[in-house]
Amino acid sequence: MEIPQTRDDDWSQLLVRVGKNEDRAAFERLFRHFAPLIKGFHYSRNTQAFCAEAADELVQEVMIRVWRKAPTFDPSRASANTWVYTIMRNCRIDMLRRNNRRQDSDSSDVDVDDIWDDTADTQPLLFLQRSRGEQEIAEGLASLPPEQSHVLEKAYMEGKSHSEISAELGLPLGTVKSRVRLALKKLQARLSK
Amino acid sequence: MIRHHPDNNMLLEYAAGSLPWALSLAVSAHLQLCPQCRQQRENLDRIGGALLCDSAPQSVDTAAFDQLMGRIEHEDQQEASSGEAAPAKPRPVYSSDPVLADLPKVIRKLVTSTGPLKWRRVSSALRTSRLNTGQDRYEVAFQRICRGGKVAEHDHRGREVTVVLYGSFSDSEGVYRRGDFLLREPGDVHRPIATQDQECLCLSVVEAPVKVTGLLGWLINPFLSFRPA
Ligand SMILES: [Zn+2]
Repeated sequence: MEIPQTRDDDWSQLLVRVGKNEDRAAFERLFRHFAPLIKGFHYSRNTQAFCAEAADELVQEVMIRVWRKAPTFDPSRASANTWVYTIMRNCRIDMLRRNNRRQDSDSSDVDVDDIWDDTADTQPLLFLQRSRGEQEIAEGLASLPPEQSHVLEKAYMEGKSHSEISAELGLPLGTVKSRVRLALKKLQARLSK
Repeated sequence: MIRHHPDNNMLLEYAAGSLPWALSLAVSAHLQLCPQCRQQRENLDRIGGALLCDSAPQSVDTAAFDQLMGRIEHEDQQEASSGEAAPAKPRPVYSSDPVLADLPKVIRKLVTSTGPLKWRRVSSALRTSRLNTGQDRYEVAFQRICRGGKVAEHDHRGREVTVVLYGSFSDSEGVYRRGDFLLREPGDVHRPIATQDQECLCLSVVEAPVKVTGLLGWLINPFLSFRPA
């Protein structure tokens, strides 16, 4: 993995412009940047339930939400990358749920954004560290031992649970869990340096 | 002070979106009460952000952007012509019950969506009410223990997550208060007792019993029923 060259602040500024002025040119630049990344993020899932068409559909869903939700984007709380990531994750959960929905189970009004809700009262004191945290985590990821970053990639990019990873790699569940914990510990140590 | 949290593995599955719906609901209820885990969640989301930023780009059809803008315009027009009928806000159905007065947002919505709660008496100490989450892999319910109530010793066949939402209870291992998040694996035996001063309300998420049919079922089910109670 490489350390990102551009500071994500540029993308954050574009997002703010979309949110404030419905700036289409800014949105187009965001689209040209993020759409291929969203697809790339899910590329490893192509062989499974997540085919290429689903990835294209996901791109559309995510970018529509980016457009709609841009007014709520707060650059002091999250970088554009992380903000788009959370929207993308929620969209994907939504899509997979729609596909798997059983006809016989009662529907519920609780939706993805209720459960993966990041609007809960956050503490202003933490804000200062935020943009630094982004950078530290990106660098930290690049310096993890491969067996640890591999497990993180499987969890995030392939969407696999720990037990699925353990089955796939033929490793005991405890080993997968401890690799994840070790990776997080290293990233955490960078954040608190 | 919250002392029991979901572990980092579960928080990561939540942040990556692979944790089952009902367990994510329980984690979400905890997060709304626990600033410490909220901060951890932010870090886990940032890992997702960093991985997204680092992904190898895959080409997207050149027409995709125009297609998207077309969709957005279409939606805008539809919204404008439908006259913005604001959906009726569902009424809270439980406001008179102090135990349910101060629930985390996500649980409040779950209760409203479930409709009037039907409390079923399990024992003199314990009442339970099922909550409708639109999935059936896990059973999601409120469990309500009366003041000083002792729940009979029991174990679980599947994983069980409990989040304390009101009051507190204890078992042989400790005292659990509002916000505490407990994970029990199959076979863990416990005997919760509510404190004397007030009732206790918990959200409980239990893996639904596995229904096995056919020859395999004949082989497996006897073992299930012989688990020590
Ligand atoms: Zn916590």
